[in-house]
Amino acid sequence: MPERAVEPITEAITEAITEAITEAIAEAIALSGIGKEFPLRRGHAVRALDGFDLTVEHGEFVAILGPSGCGKSTVLRLVAGLEAPTEGEVRVEGRGPAELIREHRLGVAFQEHALLPWASARANVALPFKVAGRQVDRARVDALLHLVGLEGFADARPRQLSGGMRQRVAIARALALNPDVLLLDEPFGALDAVTRRRMNLELARIWMAQRITTLLVTHDVDEAVLLADRVVVMTGRPGRVRHVQRVDLPRPRGTEVTREPAFHALVDQLTGLLDEAEPAGTAA
Amino acid sequence: MSGGAARTAGTSARTAGLAAAGAVLLVALAEVIGRTGLAGPSWPPLSAVVEYLTAPSAQRVLGRALAATGSAAGLGFVLGAAAGVALAALGTLLPPIGPGLDRLAALVNAIPLIALGPLLITTAGRAATPTLVAALAAGFAVFVAATSALAAASEGQRDVFAVLGAGRVATLLRLRLPAGLPLIVDGLTLAGPGAVLGAVIGEWFGAPRGVGVLLVSAMQNFQTNLLWAAALASSVLAMAAYLVLLGLRHAVQRRFT
Repeated sequence: MPERAVEPITEAITEAITEAITEAIAEAIALSGIGKEFPLRRGHAVRALDGFDLTVEHGEFVAILGPSGCGKSTVLRLVAGLEAPTEGEVRVEGRGPAELIREHRLGVAFQEHALLPWASARANVALPFKVAGRQVDRARVDALLHLVGLEGFADARPRQLSGGMRQRVAIARALALNPDVLLLDEPFGALDAVTRRRMNLELARIWMAQRITTLLVTHDVDEAVLLADRVVVMTGRPGRVRHVQRVDLPRPRGTEVTREPAFHALVDQLTGLLDEAEPAGTAA
Repeated sequence: MSGGAARTAGTSARTAGLAAAGAVLLVALAEVIGRTGLAGPSWPPLSAVVEYLTAPSAQRVLGRALAATGSAAGLGFVLGAAAGVALAALGTLLPPIGPGLDRLAALVNAIPLIALGPLLITTAGRAATPTLVAALAAGFAVFVAATSALAAASEGQRDVFAVLGAGRVATLLRLRLPAGLPLIVDGLTLAGPGAVLGAVIGEWFGAPRGVGVLLVSAMQNFQTNLLWAAALASSVLAMAAYLVLLGLRHAVQRRFT
């Protein structure tokens, strides 16, 4: 009698534990109840984020869209482990960002390309290997340069490259160690409109080849819709999630997608949300 | 582009011309003062100093002194620069001691080198003092330059290194040092002439040989021409050090920015 009673209970417990574990690591990125304050002079503080929640699934591309100064870059810096939240919890692959950093499992690219000016494109892409104390995988570095379309510029130094090419090198560098999570903070923000559009299509192609969990921060609605599976629209400061929009446009997304009515409808809708978000930011 | 380049070339040509004119004017002035005896018997005409330098015996004496001073300054420069960079690097590897190092360096620099001379003579000996004073003079300039140089990498670059999981040593070797090299070399161009001056001061207190010793004995024996020749020689040495380091700086700036 007791044995039969115990069995379903252990089974239920095992099931619950398994479920909890799967649930815990089902999300590649989980931010819950995030508040972030930056101290100013004389005990004053500015509240950048307030009650911010976001989850990103494995292999999902999420774009964060918001007016400037809404704290969207702060979200990315929290996930990158460059800032610590004042309240709430940041989990990446079920753990704190610091642990992933220690294991060299994050990739990042900023608006400022931050390449090493004294190193060639190849050496810049190889940097993560050296920083991690690993043998440089030359085949991987060459494959990445090929992926971003720079195989002919491997020996060029950053100042010999155009702005778009530098960002390609920065993205290749971010991908070098096959990171679990790719973090992009306005990577094309400093480029002209034409180059930016071309780089968006390039990134869509690169992402299709890699399918890495990606968090993109941008203020460009077209860019967000073209690239992301989900677009998160933020309010003005303090930043909260205002709206989450699933983007069901079929992949691969090329230039033809940008001419479809569905694409424009989404862009218009999100632009509208952004415009409404602006006054809240100025009022705060 | 080419117009801008031509303008830049024109500007630098004019600067060089003005500098040359200034130098010629100074030399001419020194000559006139010497010939007219305006500043007394201790100011000979420059031509007399140069003529004195044509004598083989004078060349031998000065040559020996310059070799001694040059090697003391050179060795002191290398030691001081290495210590300056190493201390600044230590400050970035162990951030809590950074401010303390800054203060220590400022304190050491506040002690006049003249006051340190006798102290070093009694502790390190006559032969080593010129090198040590040169190292102190060069070391402080390099330490100050290196401290700001190692913080010169952009915030974006430092963020990328942080996210990639780079440790302090990797960040120092792969980012801070190469990014700071142009500024470190700026410090070296200051430290070079400083090391020559330091070596001469160190010799002043009774080194076995060197330009400093020559200056003292020429002064005491009223050998005006020798005094001037020695002073001239040490300035030329300091200027040569500066020019060599300027070349290095140019090369580094091309390579690392």
